[in-house]
Amino acid sequence: MNAGMIQSVRTLLSLKPKQKLTAQYLFSLLIAVTLAFLVGAGIMLLCGYDPVACYAALFKGALGKPRAFGNTLAKTVTLCLTGLSMSLAAKAGIFNVGGEGQLYLGGLAAAVVGARMNGSPAWLIVICSLLAAMAAGGAYAWLPGVLKVKLKVNEVVTTILLNSAAIYFCSYMANGPLQTAERGIESGTDAIASAAWFTPLVRLSNLTTGVFYAAVITLLVWYVMSRSTVGFEMKMTGTNERFARYGGIRADSLALWGMVLSGMICGIVGLLEVFGLHHRFITTISSEFYFDGMLVAMIMRYQPLGVILMSFFFAILNIGSSAMELSAGISSEVMLIVQSVIIFFMAAEGGISDEVRQKAAARRVRRAARKAAKEAGV
Amino acid sequence: MSDIFNILLLQNTLRTATPVVLCALGCLMTDQVGIMNIGVDGMMLMGAFFAVLGSYLFSSWLMGLVFAVVLGILLGLFYYVFSIRFKSDEFIIGVALNILAGGLTVFLLRTLFGVKGSFSGPGIVPLPTLTLPGIRDIPVLGPILSGNTLLVYVSWLLVLLCWLFLYKTPIGFHLRASGEAPEALRASGKSPERMKRLASVLCGILATVSGAHLSLGYLTMFSENMSASRGYVAVACVIFGGGNPPRVFLAALMFGFIDALGMRLQKYISSDLTSMAPYVVTVVMMVAVVLLRRRKQAARERLSA
Amino acid sequence: MSGETPIVRFEHVTMQFPGVLANDDVSLDIRKGEVFALVGENGAGKSTLMNLLYGLQKPTLGTIAIKGQKTSARHDPQRAMAMGVGMVHQHFKLVPSFTVAQNIALGMEPKLRGLFYDQRRINREVLALGERFGLPVQPEDVVGELSVGLQQRVEILKALHRGADVLILDEPTAVLTPHETDELFDVIRKIVAEQGMTVLLITHKLGEVMKLSDRVGVMRRGRLLGILDTEKTNERELAAMMVGRDVIFDELREGEPGADEVLTVRGLKASDDRGLPAVKGVDITVHRGEIVGVCGVEGNGQTELTECIMGMRPQTGGTVTLNGMDVSRLSPREIRAMGVSWIPEDRLHTGLSVKATVTENLLVGKQRRPEFSRFGIHYRKRNAQRYAEKIAAEFDIRSGGLELPVGSLSGGNMQKTILAREFSFDSPVLVISQPTRGVDIGAIEFIHEKILEKRNAGCAILLVSADLDELFRLSDRLLTLYEGQITGRFDAGEISKQDIGYYMTGGRQKGAREA
Repeated sequence: MNAGMIQSVRTLLSLKPKQKLTAQYLFSLLIAVTLAFLVGAGIMLLCGYDPVACYAALFKGALGKPRAFGNTLAKTVTLCLTGLSMSLAAKAGIFNVGGEGQLYLGGLAAAVVGARMNGSPAWLIVICSLLAAMAAGGAYAWLPGVLKVKLKVNEVVTTILLNSAAIYFCSYMANGPLQTAERGIESGTDAIASAAWFTPLVRLSNLTTGVFYAAVITLLVWYVMSRSTVGFEMKMTGTNERFARYGGIRADSLALWGMVLSGMICGIVGLLEVFGLHHRFITTISSEFYFDGMLVAMIMRYQPLGVILMSFFFAILNIGSSAMELSAGISSEVMLIVQSVIIFFMAAEGGISDEVRQKAAARRVRRAARKAAKEAGV
Repeated sequence: MSDIFNILLLQNTLRTATPVVLCALGCLMTDQVGIMNIGVDGMMLMGAFFAVLGSYLFSSWLMGLVFAVVLGILLGLFYYVFSIRFKSDEFIIGVALNILAGGLTVFLLRTLFGVKGSFSGPGIVPLPTLTLPGIRDIPVLGPILSGNTLLVYVSWLLVLLCWLFLYKTPIGFHLRASGEAPEALRASGKSPERMKRLASVLCGILATVSGAHLSLGYLTMFSENMSASRGYVAVACVIFGGGNPPRVFLAALMFGFIDALGMRLQKYISSDLTSMAPYVVTVVMMVAVVLLRRRKQAARERLSA
Repeated sequence: MSGETPIVRFEHVTMQFPGVLANDDVSLDIRKGEVFALVGENGAGKSTLMNLLYGLQKPTLGTIAIKGQKTSARHDPQRAMAMGVGMVHQHFKLVPSFTVAQNIALGMEPKLRGLFYDQRRINREVLALGERFGLPVQPEDVVGELSVGLQQRVEILKALHRGADVLILDEPTAVLTPHETDELFDVIRKIVAEQGMTVLLITHKLGEVMKLSDRVGVMRRGRLLGILDTEKTNERELAAMMVGRDVIFDELREGEPGADEVLTVRGLKASDDRGLPAVKGVDITVHRGEIVGVCGVEGNGQTELTECIMGMRPQTGGTVTLNGMDVSRLSPREIRAMGVSWIPEDRLHTGLSVKATVTENLLVGKQRRPEFSRFGIHYRKRNAQRYAEKIAAEFDIRSGGLELPVGSLSGGNMQKTILAREFSFDSPVLVISQPTRGVDIGAIEFIHEKILEKRNAGCAILLVSADLDELFRLSDRLLTLYEGQITGRFDAGEISKQDIGYYMTGGRQKGAREA
């Protein structure tokens, strides 16, 4: 072994430092989605359905008719807002898993205010209801937030438990003290003033003028998260809270604000459901909307642009799956399975690509060393 | 008053607490290796479904349990591979597991049994109830201790076994070391990863078996979302118990008590409010634990200053 | 001696990591019963070589033989232990909540009835083991509550319990007081003489090498430069070999400190994370244009002291004043605003955010300034990047790119990042903790120059370090800290490196406690 041989080994192995390319992540995402669809196809085959027919029904059901497309867009809005809500809090290092409960309470508050203000001008009703929804959602998020920030109580567990509490509470209110006297409404509050109802944009679909409010909020959240100074400070707080505090950033305050803002957005989602769709609060106002949005946020690593795009894709899966059940017959839950497969793979993406890279590097090192040893005749 | 606070209440406490006890023991295992498995709720749900499936297909509660155990092993391995080997965020994997559980169980419910909402019927064989001859006749305690389904007694045994396992056997020490100081364990020649895998599998089994108690011991049916966030309560119990099986057991018992009490009070108070109570109480419990620990810390500081 | 099989033989050992050649064709024979010291700077490859011996890594090329037997392709710590090699790591591999006996037996616990842990037997065995080697311990003590010296003793016993006759000690004295160090040396001499143990000592402390070893091997940049008999060489020669040039250990201060008291600490008391008192009444004064050095072995309250001054830890008593104003209860944000910057000892958890980019790490603290934030709302990223490039060049921070996570930088460059950020605030007061721990000599000189620049420009600097060379080189005044109290106050030149050890380990100067 001589110096020259070692030198050639060295040059063969000058590896550049690891760079986290978003392109690589998106590529992995593509693979994950393909794999998930294959798994779905497998399940369909096992149950005796034709995958091609099912998937065709899915996409047609989501994008084919204007009504369907409207529904898909409306769903995109819900997913996008809940996903951004989760992402905003996550950026500051705090996991708001309680969005569902905040949504319920926000919707309830909005419905109550909207009903009581019958007779006032529409714009006033909307503003007051917005404030009520934001206050309700924000306050309910503030509680687990302050517990986490001041007492280090795990917010994932508290927010999940508080979800159940809020849903039961709203059910109690809608079935009890706030129950409407209207005939035919089982568990719901009074209808909000008809002047304030959001106008539908596409006939018979769920898409209403509420989408414009959503667009504004989306833009605001994107700006705060990626272009603002507050977003910078939140990122520092989320990546290393102690460092942020040491560096003079109000870490506690930021984390708490992240949580409260997140809750406010969820409250607004509740308001959108009330004002756009049902025109009152009903106990079935949300079916796991927030959890769906959370999935989107987690897959897209809490990046706002990614969340927006993925919301659209997941909305297609969501709306399409019900249509698929109607026309192809297979239970719509199969798409939930597909979605969770995507999550699993994207969550493991880091570890999998690390392993692949390590094994490739080790193979390269061994090959180069063997080559160098051979050259020296050792 | 005696209408509410009677033997039936305590009996129900045991029945309601048992799934939480079993699930919490599972969470305790992973907690000792440094993992917080949020996915136990989904594991419980899937365990409940597959237990019913096994019992129905083979007309045997034993097969129901076997199905649950096998599923538990698979889920435990799955969780290990993704959260340890592939270094995924354990929170994301846990929540995704819960979503998968919800979707899968409803899907199978509709596809295999052709029903929506819930599945029950004479074809499902429930877990046996055990009457303990001598104990049955003890006043007051007798009817509570005797006459419970199999898994209730198994859960008590498991509390003891877990404590023995963790604190009195070498493997238990290795398990705890892999969570507290994995590099120390590695330097001694043992693999922390293997310990974490073991803990994951044990957790999976305990979580799915807790689901089996829900669907075969508690009631004899499977209904959508049967776990009702009990898995999260189990996680809270582990936080409350701080690594100590008997304390975790007590925490779970308290939850069971509040839940059972709520059910008895449904006659007088809205069922929504009584359903709310256990969750609120659990949150209060978690906060109380933290405050108490802080006070102890502050007292210690004052003494040594 | 010649003709006898060496107890450990390295033959043409090469270890290649991606991008780094850690060991470059190293051949070395270790004789039975000797104390062999392996010296070199950080990154010279000495730890890597020992890791290969202990089976923590597999060499890319070359072979290792223990007692004449070549190590297998599947060599790992368990096999190394079976072959008689034990390793005591720099960062102890102990389980804090387990007892001494439980730690020593970890992985080979005696079983009762095949299933249960035979606690009584292992307690007995450990007690006997301790007495046999002159390292007495209480088997049922909880390791987490022991002193660092005792913890190291447990580590050593762990290796001896497994029947090691070759003991590798990796930087053993880094965390010990001078007294504990002497005790360790006695133990080493004893086990070598009485039990025929062979000891491999990895260290960069040349004084200890001279005191303890029979032969010295010097490594630099992965190569073994040479092996010398200890009695035939001296520290200066070894240092020159280690660094490749003559290293000058003299002082570079110029100018006199000012008279104004800038930072004063009076009667400061604080507790550590466990709630036990760590700082027990400390008085310090720092003047303009002065460096006050606090000497002490780590773990005597330095961490808590600096955290209190910076507002990261609540005090339990006493005051901190800045230019006459009481800053005791202020937050880090407010204290920074008053003109204090801090280089913390914990690089990874306090000084940096490993996942954030280099630019972001450099910017923190300034993000609200108008040039980086329009109306306090908009983050001016391009300005931030340009600024980062400027100070990265000024402080010679080498990276693959400033938009990469700072965790991808080497230790020395990470430290330079922290320095660049903190020094660029132009704060009149600097609190600096362990600035050059684990940093290469080249970077050390650079950092020392920068610190002296600040001092000469009029900054009041509090320098906390465990490195006596550094303290003596930079400080105008020296304070010794032991168990949370100031035990000695000296002007530079008033005391020598040899004598100051006495005050660092319990000796007290009269009246030193109060300023």
